[in-house]
Amino acid sequence: MTMKELIVEYRKQRHLFVWLIPLAFLAALFLWGGAGQRNLSDYDLAQGYSYLLCQLPVLNCIIMPIMLAVIASRICDIEVKGQTWKLLFTLQDKGRFYDRKFLTEFLYLLLFCVGELGILLLYGRIYGYTEPIPAILCLRHLAAALLAGSAVLTLQHVLSLLSVNQIVPLLTGLAGSFLGLFSEFFPAAVARLVLWGYFGAFTPYRIDWDEAAGEVLLVPKIFPTGLFIGFFIFTVLFSLLCRYIFVRKEL
Amino acid sequence: MLLLTVKAENRKLKGSVLWIACIIIPIIPAVMGTFNYWMNREMLTGEWLSLWSQLTLFYALLFYAPLVALYCSYLWRLEHLEHNWNVLMTLPVPLRDIFFGKLYVIVKMTLITQLWLFLLFCLCGKLAGLPGLPPVITLTWTLRGTAAALAIGALQLLLSMCIRSFAIPIGLALVGSIFGFLSANLSKAAIFLCPYALMLAGMNSNAYEDRMEGQVIPFAVSTAGFFLLFCGTGILILKKRDVKA
Repeated sequence: MTMKELIVEYRKQRHLFVWLIPLAFLAALFLWGGAGQRNLSDYDLAQGYSYLLCQLPVLNCIIMPIMLAVIASRICDIEVKGQTWKLLFTLQDKGRFYDRKFLTEFLYLLLFCVGELGILLLYGRIYGYTEPIPAILCLRHLAAALLAGSAVLTLQHVLSLLSVNQIVPLLTGLAGSFLGLFSEFFPAAVARLVLWGYFGAFTPYRIDWDEAAGEVLLVPKIFPTGLFIGFFIFTVLFSLLCRYIFVRKEL
Repeated sequence: MLLLTVKAENRKLKGSVLWIACIIIPIIPAVMGTFNYWMNREMLTGEWLSLWSQLTLFYALLFYAPLVALYCSYLWRLEHLEHNWNVLMTLPVPLRDIFFGKLYVIVKMTLITQLWLFLLFCLCGKLAGLPGLPPVITLTWTLRGTAAALAIGALQLLLSMCIRSFAIPIGLALVGSIFGFLSANLSKAAIFLCPYALMLAGMNSNAYEDRMEGQVIPFAVSTAGFFLLFCGTGILILKKRDVKA
């Protein structure tokens, strides 16, 4: 894929303000997270980053499926609405077109995930967390959010490209958001069957309640490396399958 | 004339995918909420009210508004495609009837969704072994949530009319729901200032006692106020702005 092809893709989005979508969700996330930052005790400040790193995956379960559905639909709908398929595919390879669209969508996902970490650091500054920045945990969160986001984005991408009616990908995003959130309350074995539930699969802590002290306890969890690698392989295979389906589809 | 526009809108929905959304989306909170209730029934001792809290917790909080937005986007998408705006605006039909025709269909769809959710609530309650019938107050909350959807329906219809993208108004509805949730947590008065918070309060999600007790008049005034504001703006824009077909 050449840089020129990417530039063409961004030119198509010039007046669509797609970048506003992740920014609007980041703003909502900032306010939402901020609502829980009132009256922080010394104990809360001492585990500020860790607590947020525990909360963010749950919020991602709610926000990301719909946000990614909106981004993918917005970008793919240009071609669906404009009925540009036949013209496009006489000029370029279908596979390359698929990859390029996906890459542009992925960059918005990356913007959101990095922005999330920015919010985390901003909270630390604003509220004066006394906990040192857990750089490794932050990077782990970034990798997990990107991986789970990529899997969901792949699904949304192919649905948005294949559906003449954009209600199908949006409905999937809405249902996925629901399923992902509820899967958080299910036993891990059941939750792992839900694609959208993987946002919460790699949280660094488990939240517990210390009744005696009346405080929230963050119990560290061992990073499930096997699950991460397994899900990474699944995402790659799933991406190849979706790409194959799109390339084979007659227009 | 309004009746004719309603008939036309209904005909557009014949065999539409929208009905799948209307049926499937409420099944998810019903099944999962019941499962969650079943797993935690030692702690959730309020029987029907506990089940209601589990069913409506996330539905009213975050998904009800995007669902209404989905309905609205679908209805306007038909006009945004294939130069249909030109046809629509040259029809010998008052513009307010076009807007209210669509709004009527949205309210009807929302009512069906809500009643379907209530039916699922009853079924799930019986399957979970709850005694008797659900308290009448839960039906009131269901209908009150539908009333709140009047304001959201009008707002989302306005957004979907102005924004040609199918997806953006749905994303905005989720962002709005988050703001609604924050407003509801801020103070009781803030609920009435944010249309998205009205749904949450109307359905009394995640609360055993009626949070709107003694607040029915402000709730009704706020819903009616937002409804009139968004409908008025929508009709005014239809009248004044040139179409982009």
